[in-house]
Amino acid sequence: MKKGLVMMFGCWVVLSLILAPVAMAEQRGVTDTEIRIGQYGPQTGPAALWGAVARGSGLLFDMINDEGGIHGRKITYYLRDDGYMPARTKAIVKELVEDKGVFAMASGVGTAPGMAVKKYLDTNKVPWVGPATGSSHWAYPPTKYLFADYPLYIDEASILINYAVKTLGKKRIAIFYQNDDYGKEGVAGAEYALEKLGMKLVASVSVEPLDTDLSSHCMKLKEANPDVVLLWLLPKHGAIILGTAAKMGFSPQWMTTSTLSDTPIMFQITKGLFKGVIFTSFGELPDATTNPLMDKYNAAREKFAPKERWGVFYTAGILFVEPMVEALKRAGRDLTADSFVKAMESIKDFQGIGPKISYGPNQRQGSRASFLGKCGEGGKSEKLSGWMTSDVDLNVVLKKLGR
Amino acid sequence: MLFETIVNSLSFGSLYALVALAMVIIYKTSEVPNFGQGEMAMLSTFVAFSLLATYKYSFVVSFVGALLFAAALGVFLEFTFLRRAKDPNILSLILITLGFEMILYGVASWKWGADQQLFPFPISDQDTFNLGPAVLSYLNLATVLITLLLMLMLFLFFRYTKVGIAMKATQQNAMAARINGIRTNRILSITWALSSMIGAVAGMLLAPIATLDPNLMLDPLLKGFSSAVLGGMTSLVGAALGGYILSIIENLFGKYVSLEFKSIVAFGIIVLVLCFKPSGLFARHYVRKV
Repeated sequence: MKKGLVMMFGCWVVLSLILAPVAMAEQRGVTDTEIRIGQYGPQTGPAALWGAVARGSGLLFDMINDEGGIHGRKITYYLRDDGYMPARTKAIVKELVEDKGVFAMASGVGTAPGMAVKKYLDTNKVPWVGPATGSSHWAYPPTKYLFADYPLYIDEASILINYAVKTLGKKRIAIFYQNDDYGKEGVAGAEYALEKLGMKLVASVSVEPLDTDLSSHCMKLKEANPDVVLLWLLPKHGAIILGTAAKMGFSPQWMTTSTLSDTPIMFQITKGLFKGVIFTSFGELPDATTNPLMDKYNAAREKFAPKERWGVFYTAGILFVEPMVEALKRAGRDLTADSFVKAMESIKDFQGIGPKISYGPNQRQGSRASFLGKCGEGGKSEKLSGWMTSDVDLNVVLKKLGR
Repeated sequence: MLFETIVNSLSFGSLYALVALAMVIIYKTSEVPNFGQGEMAMLSTFVAFSLLATYKYSFVVSFVGALLFAAALGVFLEFTFLRRAKDPNILSLILITLGFEMILYGVASWKWGADQQLFPFPISDQDTFNLGPAVLSYLNLATVLITLLLMLMLFLFFRYTKVGIAMKATQQNAMAARINGIRTNRILSITWALSSMIGAVAGMLLAPIATLDPNLMLDPLLKGFSSAVLGGMTSLVGAALGGYILSIIENLFGKYVSLEFKSIVAFGIIVLVLCFKPSGLFARHYVRKV
């Protein structure tokens, strides 16, 4: 009798093991009533200023749910703090995929954290839209489930250089960059653009993320006597170098990437030294726009997250996942990873609060455009240009970067 | 150029020296390098920031308030955690200080968020004067002067005050000190308070330059610790000198050898010192307390 029970139990175990994959073959993270989406982002730690991205994406999902969801499904959103530590990002993404069972990943700040999970997400067929970093690793080479829409750092650098030389008539350009992928792609883009103009960087000085004393860096820059210095840094280093330079009586035209484009904060922490700095932007400026879509989002913010500052990284969080929401709509009721990818690939000239975004089979970088802004009095920013598309031949630059 | 580099190093050298002093003061009494030192200083700086920016107190009040907070924090940590440690050996005590580091970091991130803040300091980092070919801000000058003043006060404190002498006695031989009627436990608390206050001063001098966020002291703590190892973990003078020497070496290295490797010079120095002169450059001799 006992033996029989054991046998039955054994059969049950074996059967459930066999049947389990069938049950799992249904699309992970999609049920009749919900779509589960996850995002990691630094809410604490050195990069927490950029953590607003993850909360911005949350706002868009709240808004969509409030409007009734997508094809009868509401979005369940999981936001996790990885503190900008790749090891933690890995654990978080594993938890989100295997435990919470998310259908897709939205955005996510940081090149290193993103690189730590890129392969894992691809192997597990988790669609991922809009990593919040301008690294070229996301779309080159293209992978099936990963769609990028942040302008490439390489492109931003090239756009800045062209503006400095052609419009401002500057002749001596230097770069001060963080010694990692982020900074190096800035350097590569700048070198490429200058070479095309028959020029060279007069100095390229690097800084380690933890450095605090930047006086010798500043002296080195100053010795090269540049009239433009590009900054590819953390906000903190941006503030320190502007302060150190002002002290040394060194005042070139500073230019920087979208990562330092939160002008109200930068203006405040530099005691106004940020005024006049020219930067590239990935989307409409929160405080200088008449865009009706931005107004709509701002109204949603007042409703769902009145405590959030209407800053550029918050709106960026919306911007980076707009195409994702669009594709969820296009994919229809029959939502799987593959139908989602198809829907993403069908997006052409999609207009959200960023540049026009297009994808296609094998085209995973949604846009290569950026526009220029300038920090004015009190940290209010103004637009200097319309959208400009980069003309960088990526094959050349990526080869130079050893890829 | 050489002169300029050296002058530029003085201000950060002072900060390293202060952190090194704070570490050494605790190390001498309890043989524990306190890795929570940086975060204690950071938290005190945030307290000053809140008093200044949120409650609109004057700078002097905020400064003193932060120092009092720092002292209380030091006493609290020593009294509540270190003293309760069962069978304390050095390793477990070090782990406790690492625990402090993480807890305090978390508290600061939770309370003040991780955005960069401007620390309003009455002396400007933008108003400058020339010292030969070098340019210094008044804040740099104040940093150096305040550091020197603090060192002088520490010297007088250890030489002429009863508490200071009792502290030295406890450092040299806790058992004998206790036999002679010194309440060594209380001395230990005072040591933590003193060390925490010195750290807080470093934090408040650094924040106006580096902007204030929970990561304020990460780098200075490592550098201060290296300075202390370089100068000698058991010597106050050594630790202070170590701070200046480290800063100058760093900047010269950055200037003449490689900026990319500038930040690892400090760690190279730790390794070299531990290999060749483990007691540090200025500590007289290396006595292993048994």
